[in-house]
Amino acid sequence: MMPIVRWTLWQRRWSLLWWCLGVACLIILTISLYPAFHDQNALNQQLSQLPQAAKSLFSDTGDFFSPQGYLSSQVFYLTLPLLLSVLTIGMGSSLIAREEDDGTLELLLSRSISRGRLLVAKAFSGLIILIIVGAVVVISSVLTAKFAHINIPLLNIAVASLLTINLALLFGSIAMTVTMFGRSARIASIGFTALIAFGGYIVASLAGVARWLVWPAKFSPYHYFSPGDALYGHFGWQNPAGMLAASLILMFIAWLAFRRRDLRG
Amino acid sequence: MTSLPAIETFGLTKRYAKSRHLALNNLNLAVRSGEIYGFLGPNGAGKTTTIRLLMNFIQPTTGHATILNQDVVRQSIDIHGHIGYLPGEIALYSKMTGNQLFDYLAGLQPVKSTQYLRGLISRFQPDTKKKINELSKGNRQKLGIIQAFMHQPDVLILDEPTSGLDPLMQEVFYELVRETKARGGTIFVSSHNLTEVQKMCDRVGFVRGGKLIAEQDINDLSQSTIQTYDIAFAGEAPISKLKQLNHIKVISNTPHHVTVTVRGELKNLLSLLGRCDVVSIEHRDINLEDEFLKFYKGDKER
Repeated sequence: MMPIVRWTLWQRRWSLLWWCLGVACLIILTISLYPAFHDQNALNQQLSQLPQAAKSLFSDTGDFFSPQGYLSSQVFYLTLPLLLSVLTIGMGSSLIAREEDDGTLELLLSRSISRGRLLVAKAFSGLIILIIVGAVVVISSVLTAKFAHINIPLLNIAVASLLTINLALLFGSIAMTVTMFGRSARIASIGFTALIAFGGYIVASLAGVARWLVWPAKFSPYHYFSPGDALYGHFGWQNPAGMLAASLILMFIAWLAFRRRDLRG
Repeated sequence: MTSLPAIETFGLTKRYAKSRHLALNNLNLAVRSGEIYGFLGPNGAGKTTTIRLLMNFIQPTTGHATILNQDVVRQSIDIHGHIGYLPGEIALYSKMTGNQLFDYLAGLQPVKSTQYLRGLISRFQPDTKKKINELSKGNRQKLGIIQAFMHQPDVLILDEPTSGLDPLMQEVFYELVRETKARGGTIFVSSHNLTEVQKMCDRVGFVRGGKLIAEQDINDLSQSTIQTYDIAFAGEAPISKLKQLNHIKVISNTPHHVTVTVRGELKNLLSLLGRCDVVSIEHRDINLEDEFLKFYKGDKER
């Protein structure tokens, strides 16, 4: 299993480096701009007059200029989940599917490797990449917040980062599971997971202002994602544990689908 | 003495999703341990489907198969430790070098002897330091052959193994096959090329339209197969002498050129040509299916 993990990480080393640099730059730039924004009373008043629907699209806290509101609206509620979801959906839809498209999957499975072990090795490789990028997220968020004198406990910032990583992991798991169902599934997995991720974000964000969206919002992972609460220190384990369990269940479904299906020839 | 089957299929049938036709229809075959079995047939006949079923890359619609008495679906992991596999169109990691590929595969399935692997590399002489996407088809095929043999498997499943190899390398490959047989290995090889199969195999099966339509010992087949030769002479072609030879038929001729068909041994023809001033001899490719079916028809009639 380890040779597969090592080779997968080696293949993706440059893209991993760029992801780490990109995410770190985004977080450092965004958080370090906070001191320039938080005293802008006129801007704050204008934004507070925005319709609730518009505000809820960008923030789960409803405010934009408190330290928690700023971090949630500018980093943890939209931008970072969006970026990390692009990373995990891309990995989920390609870690095994690309080998199948290229024909190298047969080379691997002609050896004494079960499809289950291959799936675990590939999922583990993806998880390592997400953990590395996630570590960059946590470190750069915590350090920049400290230097920008944002008055939030650093633990809360770290928890908000972990919640975001957990959400992205769920989207990656959905993408990987869909690809395991066979022909043309790679494109389908990107489309389907993007729909769940971004459609779910809009539905969950607007559920507070449109009552008819309350029920469908319960099917969106975003409904259970509240980085703003974590930044305020109101944090419960149930929702993130549920998301993690959902990722594991999806991996089990992926294995069931993959273990007996015909490989593309 | 009859050896135990190394590969057996029992009513193996495959229908692909959304297809009305059976890609493989009730295949029953038994390849004996230590045997080299040629699996012949035109494109789309079911050769690759059979191989992919044996490798558990696709699932049978009905029927089952065993390799070394183990079920290819339920015990595929155990079986794969004893199998070397070469697909028809080898797909390798384009960004790896040959050396990296062998290290990677040896990490997944340890080789019994690194000396054996080095021996294979020195015999086929692929460029193992260049990235695979910079190699020619022939060099990639060499890497494919080496990766199939490198862990000294008991059973080899090879799909068109000499595709892309030059004649010298083909001979190296045939030699490797003979050595593998000598140490008791079983080889299941699919091919379009009857001449190649005649060189390598002990027995052949012919598949068409997803059905195994005939199986034959290679010696019987060789004696019945008709070969066609175009022969050019410096002087006058010895038409009358050629017509007198047994099992030889003159198809067409000009004063300095003759086309003959030969059934069975070439001894008489070569003996006559040895006494003539021959400029060139060309062997015409034979239509595999026609020849095989001709043989099979004759066999039935007998």
